[in-house]
Amino acid sequence: MADLIGGIPLFVLEFGDELVYFTPYTITLFLLALTFTLLVLISRPERQIDIAFGGDAYRAKEITVAEMRFRRFMAIACGLATMGAMVTGDIFNFTLFTAMVGITNVGIVAAVKSRHVQDAAYQYGLVALAATVPLFAGAAVYAAVTGSLSMIELMKGTVPAVPLIAKGMLVLGVIGEGMAPFYAAKAEMFRAPGAPYVIMCSLSSLLIFLRVVEIVMLG
Amino acid sequence: MIIRKISHVLSNYENITRLFAGACLLLFIAGILLLPLPYSEKQLYPKTFDRNSSLDPYDRGGPPFEQVGIVSQYPENSPTAGFVTSYLTPLSLFLSEQTLHLGTTIVAHPGGIIDEILYNTRGLDTVVEATILFIAFAIASYIYRRV
Amino acid sequence: MWGAYSYGIGAVMVAAVIAFFALSRERDDLQKLLLLDLVEMVGLGVIALLGTDLAEALILPGLTVGIAELLALSQIYCTKEGILDRPVTGLNIEVIALADAPLILSLFLVVYGLILSGFTGGAVAGLGLVFLFLSRTFREDLNLLEMASGISWALWIFAFFVFMFLPQYWFVALMGAAVGILLKVTVKMSLVGTMWGEQHG
Repeated sequence: MADLIGGIPLFVLEFGDELVYFTPYTITLFLLALTFTLLVLISRPERQIDIAFGGDAYRAKEITVAEMRFRRFMAIACGLATMGAMVTGDIFNFTLFTAMVGITNVGIVAAVKSRHVQDAAYQYGLVALAATVPLFAGAAVYAAVTGSLSMIELMKGTVPAVPLIAKGMLVLGVIGEGMAPFYAAKAEMFRAPGAPYVIMCSLSSLLIFLRVVEIVMLG
Repeated sequence: MIIRKISHVLSNYENITRLFAGACLLLFIAGILLLPLPYSEKQLYPKTFDRNSSLDPYDRGGPPFEQVGIVSQYPENSPTAGFVTSYLTPLSLFLSEQTLHLGTTIVAHPGGIIDEILYNTRGLDTVVEATILFIAFAIASYIYRRV
Repeated sequence: MWGAYSYGIGAVMVAAVIAFFALSRERDDLQKLLLLDLVEMVGLGVIALLGTDLAEALILPGLTVGIAELLALSQIYCTKEGILDRPVTGLNIEVIALADAPLILSLFLVVYGLILSGFTGGAVAGLGLVFLFLSRTFREDLNLLEMASGISWALWIFAFFVFMFLPQYWFVALMGAAVGILLKVTVKMSLVGTMWGEQHG
């Protein structure tokens, strides 16, 4: 119990078998996600300016209101999914929230009407879809080996130890959904205009990665 | 130099699917090498088989509206679990009494325990699942309508 | 330690290795999507190996997530490739006919049917010939493929009822269902091949 990086749960909400619990660690991440979701909610999107090289000419890229509205909706959904992933106390529920983060990230990017951006969004979507395999498989191996999906039970240490392969699957799945080491590829997607919404992609993948580290340390 | 080469491969988004698939490939090869995996005998929601039952692989047991025991993680959180583990409509009841396996088809829908898990003890999963489906529909319909 | 669970998970992991190996070698965007649909099955297999009622309850969300993402991705693919409304005027199976795949598949089916012998063997071998015939025809009617699809569906349902009412004839039902599914898969394959040919041919 002492070596938990998350700390001892401060309070626990009960939804049947699935407990939602807050530790000092997860509460920090939760507040971060909440703050950014609120920022997305109230901020006005930036406009991207193309400057012609060697001259004074510039033009603002045309962005329709409908597109911005859709991307704001996706960014808020992404924020909510991130908040859920931060506080959930169930392995399978966490994987579902992570999959939702992945698909909302695809949605934020795919709404942009540019062939190049859509291409990147499609490739990213393929990775997100492939990542659900190790993600769900990892959760299933957790359930088979320990006979439980609850993180509280894992914390108590009364269940059998979790094998390394299950942890590896979970981490690889989160990497795929959040694409944490693929920031270079993500830079391609940042050609999409609209600052606060694209930031949400990066923040959510960072947060789910921080959370999975805590989960892997549990069992 | 090697870092520049690696980052060059990474920066080309055409490669990331294949890269991720390669990572999964290595992980699952490692998984084969790390076998066997122990299987905990103490499982939640265990399954029992009664070969003579007309609802054979899906016989959940227990008449409707009478509580049967369900091995859930936290039984104290779901006091009403176990009331609908086996409900059949009159038609499916008739089918299950007359034939050996027809009661288990989708018309009969003997999925009481699944409903108990999906909507009662693990309801939060279903909420997230439905949300993901909604998000995917929203993306597809937005892109479809924009063209 | 080496229980039934370990053997099962070993088999699924071998399947995963094959699937991901195929995916890591694939360069075409549409093929990647189709392969991913197969790879999803591996994930569901691991969940199913749990073998409890919980597994069934976990498969449903897993399946839904896969289908949802597939839906969104295929729509993104359509806009990215600029595929709008494409009315199917006539089927052109030239590409699939010129490739070696149908010939090899048909040969395999015929040889396998000969080994099986008897009624079922004849059915399998006949199916192989039908497939070859279908794929060798240069211009085909959409109606023919639809009819084949409908017949295979009826065969499947018939086999299903045999399972239910005459369980002692389960083998006939199994073969009927198998041929029905195979026929349906064959039709699907040739349809995919047709769409493929229109795009790249």
